[in-house]
Amino acid sequence: MPTATPSRGFAVRAWLRANTGPLIVVGLLALLPFAVALIDGQPLAEVLANQPGQAKFIQGLMIEVFILAIFALSYDLIFGITGLLSFGHAMFFAVGAYLSGIMIKSFGWSLAPTLGLLAVVAVVQALLFSVVLPRVQGVTFALVTLGIAEVFHIVIQSRELVGYTGADVGLQGVIPPAFLSPAAQRLRFYFVALGLAVLVYLLCRRFVDSPTGRVCIATRENENRALMLGYNTFYFKLTAMIISSLLASLAGFLHMLYQPIVSPGIASLSYTVNALLMVLVGGMGTLSGAPIGAAILRLLTFYFDKWFGQSSGFILGMVYVALVLFLPYGIVGTWKLRRFAWRSGWARLAQPLRPPSRDGERL
Amino acid sequence: MPDAILEVQEVHTFIGQFHILQGVSVSVPRGGIVVLLGRNGAGKTTTLKTILGLLPPRQGQVIFDGQSVQGRRSFDIAALGIGFVPEHRAIFRSLSVAENLKIAERARGDLDRKADFIFGLFPDLKRLYRLPGNHLSGGQQQMLAVARALVPDNRLLLIDEPSEGLAPIIIEQMMHAIRQLSAESTVLLVEQNFVVASQLAESYVIIEEGRSVQAGLMADLVVDRETIQRYLGAA
Repeated sequence: MPTATPSRGFAVRAWLRANTGPLIVVGLLALLPFAVALIDGQPLAEVLANQPGQAKFIQGLMIEVFILAIFALSYDLIFGITGLLSFGHAMFFAVGAYLSGIMIKSFGWSLAPTLGLLAVVAVVQALLFSVVLPRVQGVTFALVTLGIAEVFHIVIQSRELVGYTGADVGLQGVIPPAFLSPAAQRLRFYFVALGLAVLVYLLCRRFVDSPTGRVCIATRENENRALMLGYNTFYFKLTAMIISSLLASLAGFLHMLYQPIVSPGIASLSYTVNALLMVLVGGMGTLSGAPIGAAILRLLTFYFDKWFGQSSGFILGMVYVALVLFLPYGIVGTWKLRRFAWRSGWARLAQPLRPPSRDGERL
Repeated sequence: MPDAILEVQEVHTFIGQFHILQGVSVSVPRGGIVVLLGRNGAGKTTTLKTILGLLPPRQGQVIFDGQSVQGRRSFDIAALGIGFVPEHRAIFRSLSVAENLKIAERARGDLDRKADFIFGLFPDLKRLYRLPGNHLSGGQQQMLAVARALVPDNRLLLIDEPSEGLAPIIIEQMMHAIRQLSAESTVLLVEQNFVVASQLAESYVIIEEGRSVQAGLMADLVVDRETIQRYLGAA
């Protein structure tokens, strides 16, 4: 159907209106370090100078959330949008962390060539995961990807490579560039991580709204129907895989910069399950659910550990059970599905509270 | 038949280890509507899937417009100009009506060219253009599934059970649409509802237990109560 092209100014305003919620969240996150300092009674100058305090600590926790958000978004792209269940996604993240860390530490590379190499390797590993796609699907694909990732998990722990990877202790002693030091330049790191997370979100959103992204959704819904329209679905899965691998590697790279030690655990199955959980808690295929899931997972894990100590795992498990029971499609997914029902229910509840209007209904 | 757009020649198709089609031949002349008849589980849908390469035949072959499609993959076969409307309202439920139609474009601008024709057949879709697919009623979803196959220039449309589970008034509308679109491309129909099938199609093929057992003109079949009784049960 031919539609009139709206003017640029109108389009911008419409976009702002449609994205009010996320924009407010990003604005609040930008103010968060200062708000924490105000509540804590720390002068704002100290926050700007990266002095230790509650504000710096919260920044650190949120940086981890932003990194996980990028990781979760990359997983939502292949799992939630394209419908590929990969159990090897942690490898994408770990390759990003290990490769960049080793290049900087052992080979003395600077950031730009390291990121360049990382991009190439990310594409190659996406191809490696995808060669099996035309033959295996569903659970079989999950197991094949798990196998590939486990091989990587074992290799980085091997004693032979201890000089590069640190074996089972993990990669340590990587000196991040001074301008992005997680300790001395914490506030700057915070805004870089936040900015990248927002950028990755917008990129994923753009991809999903593109014709290619639509075919990915169609492939997830019913691959045969997509084939019947004349699409070679393999290339669409491959595209999603490559983008996802690039983004997960970026998350891994940030993780390496931020953490003093890169543990081999980030290549394990449980790290993939983390991504899966974050996507499921937020709502699969919604994109906006992924960062929400990342925030919930990281913050709950941290504060439950702090509050409940030993029994935190048990309580976290109960929270997951409750989420699955009451929000079966994740937070964003369930809201999208039920918002009309919830809104009309709320309107009914609110009705008797309204004062009777003067010229309203007559009995 | 000299001018057949589709020739299915003695195909044998397996699903897993089961020998589902045991010799099906269908010849579809260019233009008009042919219907596949037969009981549940006779192999009608399997025949359509065999034509499209979703279930490649072990024996026999499928010739579309003088060209064997043997060894081609489904998306290549579809791109030759075959549109498929699967059973059960096969739309993409999380995409909007607009996106469902747009995604079927084979060349840029297909939808713009065909919009008037499609909305002429199904005026409802114009009204629902921006709605997500899962907000549509069953009948509307079926209309969208048919409309989607009309977006690119298809020379042959395979339509599986278009009337299944629809209200009589919607079936009327669907029959009217299929009759109109058959002016633009050939239609191979699977239809359990004999009343609908007999009013739409010019010719028929009966499939019984994986074999094509009889073919002919619909005009002859409607008066042949014995054949109807034998292969289609009560009618």
